[in-house]
Amino acid sequence: MTLRLRRRTALLGGLAAPFVSRLAAAQTGPIRLGTLTPQTGAGGPYGPPMVKTVQSVVAEINAAGGVLGRKIELVSEDDETNPDSAVRAARKLIDVEKVSAIIGTWASAVTTAVAPLCWENKVMLFTVSGADSITKLPHNGYIIRTQPNTYLQSGMAAQFLAKSGAKSVFALSAQTPFAVDSYNRLADVLAAGGAKALGDVIYDPAKTSFRSEIDQALKTKPDALFLNSYTPDLAVILRELYRAGYEGKKFTYGYAANAKLIESVGAEVAEGLISFAPSPDLDSPSYAKIKALLGNEPDPYSCQVYDHISLAALAIAKAGAASGLAIHDSVRAVGNPAGTKVTDAVAGLKLLAAGKDVNFEGASGPCKFTALGDIEGCRFRFDIAEKGKYRLLSLI
Amino acid sequence: MIGDFPQLLINGLLAGTQLAVPAIGFTTVFAVLRFPNFAVASHATIGAYAGYLANTALGLPAGAALLVAFLVAGAFGVASDEIVLRRLRTAGPLTVAIASVALTIVLENAVRFAFGNDPRGYDLAVLRDWRVDLGWLGRVRIGPQQVINAGAAAIAMAVLFGFLGFTRTGKMMRAVADNPILAALKGINAETVARLANFIGMGLAGYGGMLIAMDTAVDPLTGFRVMLSIFAAAVVGGLGSIPGAVLGAFVIGVGEELSVLVFDPTYRTAVGFFAILIVLTLRPRGLLGERAV
Amino acid sequence: MENYLLAMAVFAGCYALMALGLNLIFGLAGMVNLGLVGFFAVGAYASALLTVKLHLPMLVGWAAAIALASLLGAAMALITARLRGDYLAIVTLGFAEVIRLAASNEIWLTNGTDGISAIPAPGRGVLSPLLFNLQFVVIVWAVVGLAAWALARLSAAPFGRVLRAIREDDMIAAVAGKRVLAFKVQAFALGAGLLGLAGALYAHFNAYIAPDGFQPLITIYVVLALTAGGTGTMRGAVLGAVLVIALTESTRFFGGVIPWLKPVQFAALREAAIGLALILVLYYRPDGIIPERIQPQEPA
Repeated sequence: MTLRLRRRTALLGGLAAPFVSRLAAAQTGPIRLGTLTPQTGAGGPYGPPMVKTVQSVVAEINAAGGVLGRKIELVSEDDETNPDSAVRAARKLIDVEKVSAIIGTWASAVTTAVAPLCWENKVMLFTVSGADSITKLPHNGYIIRTQPNTYLQSGMAAQFLAKSGAKSVFALSAQTPFAVDSYNRLADVLAAGGAKALGDVIYDPAKTSFRSEIDQALKTKPDALFLNSYTPDLAVILRELYRAGYEGKKFTYGYAANAKLIESVGAEVAEGLISFAPSPDLDSPSYAKIKALLGNEPDPYSCQVYDHISLAALAIAKAGAASGLAIHDSVRAVGNPAGTKVTDAVAGLKLLAAGKDVNFEGASGPCKFTALGDIEGCRFRFDIAEKGKYRLLSLI
Repeated sequence: MIGDFPQLLINGLLAGTQLAVPAIGFTTVFAVLRFPNFAVASHATIGAYAGYLANTALGLPAGAALLVAFLVAGAFGVASDEIVLRRLRTAGPLTVAIASVALTIVLENAVRFAFGNDPRGYDLAVLRDWRVDLGWLGRVRIGPQQVINAGAAAIAMAVLFGFLGFTRTGKMMRAVADNPILAALKGINAETVARLANFIGMGLAGYGGMLIAMDTAVDPLTGFRVMLSIFAAAVVGGLGSIPGAVLGAFVIGVGEELSVLVFDPTYRTAVGFFAILIVLTLRPRGLLGERAV
Repeated sequence: MENYLLAMAVFAGCYALMALGLNLIFGLAGMVNLGLVGFFAVGAYASALLTVKLHLPMLVGWAAAIALASLLGAAMALITARLRGDYLAIVTLGFAEVIRLAASNEIWLTNGTDGISAIPAPGRGVLSPLLFNLQFVVIVWAVVGLAAWALARLSAAPFGRVLRAIREDDMIAAVAGKRVLAFKVQAFALGAGLLGLAGALYAHFNAYIAPDGFQPLITIYVVLALTAGGTGTMRGAVLGAVLVIALTESTRFFGGVIPWLKPVQFAALREAAIGLALILVLYYRPDGIIPERIQPQEPA
């Protein structure tokens, strides 16, 4: 009897060993955090500025003394915009690099693939993916998402469209997980606002020409087009619309309409394009900081990962420990409305070290999260492209 | 929907001219070197970037930039063949074909290494479409840029035909393509002709790549996106036949456009695949080409 | 680190199965197939859908994966049987693309680009990650061992000899009275079945599959594996698969060594390394990708 018990205890002890050693390592030595972003593949344009932003925040924090007296070590992996490579990269980050958090997964398929690895290993996942299904996974609080979900975004877009006087809207969507959901929500809210959704064409973003899809759209004689696209295909579509002589309104998401888009298509083709994005308080100094770092209007993803890394650092300071579990437990506590408002990690860390509470409001929005990990709400900004520049149209 | 037919047909014909140039390049290399060189994808991208640099950094107009695209891609074609592919030729066409797949991966990433992933655009005016009334057929819109591209493609094809038909070097190339053994017996240097074929073939891929990029965007995946359609065009027309490549390009271009009458638009690339299957099953040599069996 | 190595061993096992499948199709029977990832995807989706949507047991899913992939392989062989190698390369490439497009588009069936989550596997959520991975390593490599043994037997048997004869020269084999088409179809179907099984194993290990995960690059990895390991031998296929995973994963660790590169440049280098590896293997393997020569029969 005793022998059997001892063997079982030994076996259980052996099983627990990896966890124990991870915990032990987590008490001293550098804090390890990871980024998993698309450096190659379809999301390739978005990954590099995201990593640059996170690196700069880490450098700033380390220069000011680190967190809990420990430096942050950042490990960056390429997910190749494909869930197969992403899983292997995530396993390396989790099992070899022993990171406490993974920041910046972009493609919804990548996030969905990597999420179970994170929650099974108690590693915090901060994502910019928008698909509604992500926060509905059984993640036990290990996912924080700073991108407003599809429901929220398309609802906002539709409201604005209806209010701006559009009466008939046609949608062109790239083939993504949220294309259909997005259109359905759009149609519902438009109808409530007295406008009509005329139809939706889903296209393969890898194609080089969308003439037929655009013909289909223009045939319905819409007075507004909703372009659910990414920058590369948006550029092609805008050129096609210009050639076709389309004079109506054009709406798209802010992540597609960045500075590079105007560079790519030219001022005349982009003229009149209205884009919308979740917005922070525009006087936010962190927003200005990212702008200075990247050299142009910060894209929404860079703003979000700025918040991810800041939240992670602050949560670690608040919890007094650097494990994924610690971040998981404290990430909402650093957004305490009763605390002092801060917009960057270094200032927040100082306050936390002095025992004060902080209310972190980030570059992408107020960073307040529901139990499921979605943002509670955020402001939206609407910009219009005029003469080669974006002008703020309204902030709601 | 049937009323869309004229517009779809025109879209298809214009798309076909875009595909024709790189398809000719692909088939030219096949005709002389006897293997499918999958690296046309990356050479198309290289041409697009070369033209981009010529246009934006050196301020050259479209025509001159296209010439630069041709020359730079052609040079890369010769170099990559000399350095990478040439010594595998003795191992057989399949080995070289697989090596060309590896080569295209390396070159695409070299471009990514140098330029990053951001899509770039040329410094060229975007022109509004012409609206043409075809009477009972309805109204169609035709893009002047497309027509210019078609013209550029036609010029390239004319020059190529002239070269192959009327110059001594061109005739040498055709001789090697038709009958390498006899050509060698007649003293034609196979290596010179091979280099020429690579230069012209990959140069055309680059030229075509810039034409496509003018319509879409310049990024590391520019050539890769159209790869399957280019192969389809060349295979349908008959590998090794240059007029075949042109015909095949139109078949694929029109086929992809007309397919929206029947299929979901996202399946357009599948059209190329089915076209290949159908043609090879019913007519193994392709429309104008040699036997595939 | 152990968890990671065990997981990579599972992936290596999946690639080994695929390389064995390719060895049968190309190494033994001489038919080019650049559409490997298509059969892999078909197997993965078949098993995932049956277990997630219809709640059938995992083994049924695996059987379905093999069956469906084999069926498609047979169909492909029938259609393309008479084509020359380079044409076959292009056609099979297109096939894989169509499979990916169908998976993205037919949302009613495959959930589209959202992918299929929560694919069941024995002990998921109950066993610790370490034990779960270990269990899968055992399962996958047992399958690999079985497949390699079975294929080696097949290769030595009359079936294998006929395939090799067909590979060397269709005409002679036909003249000798062998029904060439039937043999080709069988070989393609069997090989495709192995690819489908690899897909099923992959799906259950990863718990999630999506169309974007089935990129043409996977086909290149398998071709590299077979070429590096030695086309024609079962041992070579398995060895090559391990080498490829070792290559793709070990390059991750060099980022620290060259810190002045931007992440996108490092990523480009890693991908280029695969292409370079394939080219080098083609140079230095004495027979390149030509399978082993037929040994002359000993005189009676």
